[in-house]
Parts: sequence; structure tokens; C-alpha cells
Amino acid sequence: MLNYNSVIKNEINHESVSIKEISPVIKINVRGKKREFLTNIGKNLNMILPTEANTSSTSDKLTAIWLSPDEWMIVSNELASKDNNKYDLYEVLFNSISKTNLGAVIDVTDQFVQLELRGKNVYEIFSAGSPFNFNEFKEKKGSTTQTVLNHVDVIIHNKDENIVNLFVRRSFAEHLYSWIEDNTSRL
Amino acid sequence: MFLINCPYCGERDQQEFKAGGEAHIERPKQPTELSDDEWAEYLFMRKNIKGVQFERWNHTHGCRKWFNMVRDTSNDEIKAIYKMGEKPPSQ
Repeated sequence: MLNYNSVIKNEINHESVSIKEISPVIKINVRGKKREFLTNIGKNLNMILPTEANTSSTSDKLTAIWLSPDEWMIVSNELASKDNNKYDLYEVLFNSISKTNLGAVIDVTDQFVQLELRGKNVYEIFSAGSPFNFNEFKEKKGSTTQTVLNHVDVIIHNKDENIVNLFVRRSFAEHLYSWIEDNTSRL
Repeated sequence: MFLINCPYCGERDQQEFKAGGEAHIERPKQPTELSDDEWAEYLFMRKNIKGVQFERWNHTHGCRKWFNMVRDTSNDEIKAIYKMGEKPPSQ
């Protein structure tokens, strides 16, 4: 049984960095290579999946993050309802893509924890525990990366200037958060 | 520590990758017709040379794609990187 409690025990709310958990948010992992897959997704989501590496595309309601040449994560920009764990979007995609063998659609809503980091020192935290070069990343709005942060696999999305979304697997989230907490105390 | 240019994600640190052993080892077409020695040769025997070696690598903490690399094992100099299925560059 998954532990759905918030991973945040002590809130970080400094001037230079503040972190909050964004929950519940729909997250769907889609995989496929065929041309029909891309057009089908485009029609259903009303947006085009990014094909350029380390980028994302955003519509009013959704953000699609590039994970690999045939894999994307679709994240809702809005909060979902708390008592309902079924999502229309997932049903629609599952029926039009998984059932027709165009690709794979997996609901990863509960698998990933989404943390929103804000403030001018966000990248200081990242550079303390990640080998990734964030110089170009932080200049380009919408850029994404899959990398390691303190040896934990993470997906990082540059939402806006000094606003970053961090996706981490639920079982690693608490550990990573306490590392971040420890790190911000020394900024 | 060295940087590896993933053919899909771009330049990343080595710690995001896992080495997958020697590249371009072909599975025998008729495994049942092989002798034990020949089968062992295919299954276990690797060159492991000091010098230029063709290897498979996986970007485990990134795009999770496999690719090939030509690396000098004596000084970790990367000579070439190419995708799976592509022809290896001539030595």
C-alpha cells in the first residue's frame, strides 16, 4: 500500500527558497513511436508532444515533458479532486492508444511526487547534488531533464524563472526532501 | 569521472550511465548446433583489451536508451558514439 501522506514534514519557506508539494496532480506516462500515435495524442490532448530532447510543451491545462525519444510524461497544470482517483484523461488516452496497440499509456499519478521549488537559490541546491550542468537549463523556460539528485532519479522541469517542478518517485521522496531541507539550511 | 555525449539527451556525466559490455556480439544463428566450447565462447568470452574497444552503454538515469561507444580503455578517451543498429565507425 502506498503512503499517500505529504512528504513534507517541516515546511521550507525561506526568502531564497520555498518548497511545496503540488498534490493531487494527474500524471500520465505515454510511450509510442508510430506516426499515428503522435497524431492521436495530439488530437486527444489538443497539443503537440515535444520531439526535441530536454524540452516540454504546455497548453492551458496540460504540460508534456520529453523523457526519451519515445516517452513523455503528461502532467496536469491544475489540481485534481481529492476524493476521486479516476481520471477522464487517462480513460480517453487508454482507450484510443493502449487498446488500439498504438503505444502504451500508464497512470503514474501516485508514483511520482511533485515538488515546486521557488526562489533565487533553487539551482544552488541542485548543483550541490547533481552532476547536470544547469547553466543553459535555467535560461530556457520549459526545459526539462532527467538526472540524479543526491543519487535519486528525478525529473526536473523549468516552469518559469526561478520556479522549478521536481518529480521524484514516491518511495524516494521523503529521503530526498530531508536532503534538500538539510541543504537549504546551509545556503 | 568523464562526460558522455548521449545520442538522445546530449552531454551528461558518466554517473548517469551504466556500461553494458562488449558490443557487436552476434547471437549464433543455430545455437543447438554449437559445441559447448563454442557456446561458452559466445556466452562468456570477452576481449577486455587495453586500448580501443567497442562497447554498449545505457543511459540508465536519463532516457534509458542503449547506444554504442568506441572507447580507449587505457585513458577513457571516447572516440565515437553511435546509436544501436548503426554501423560502427571504421578503426
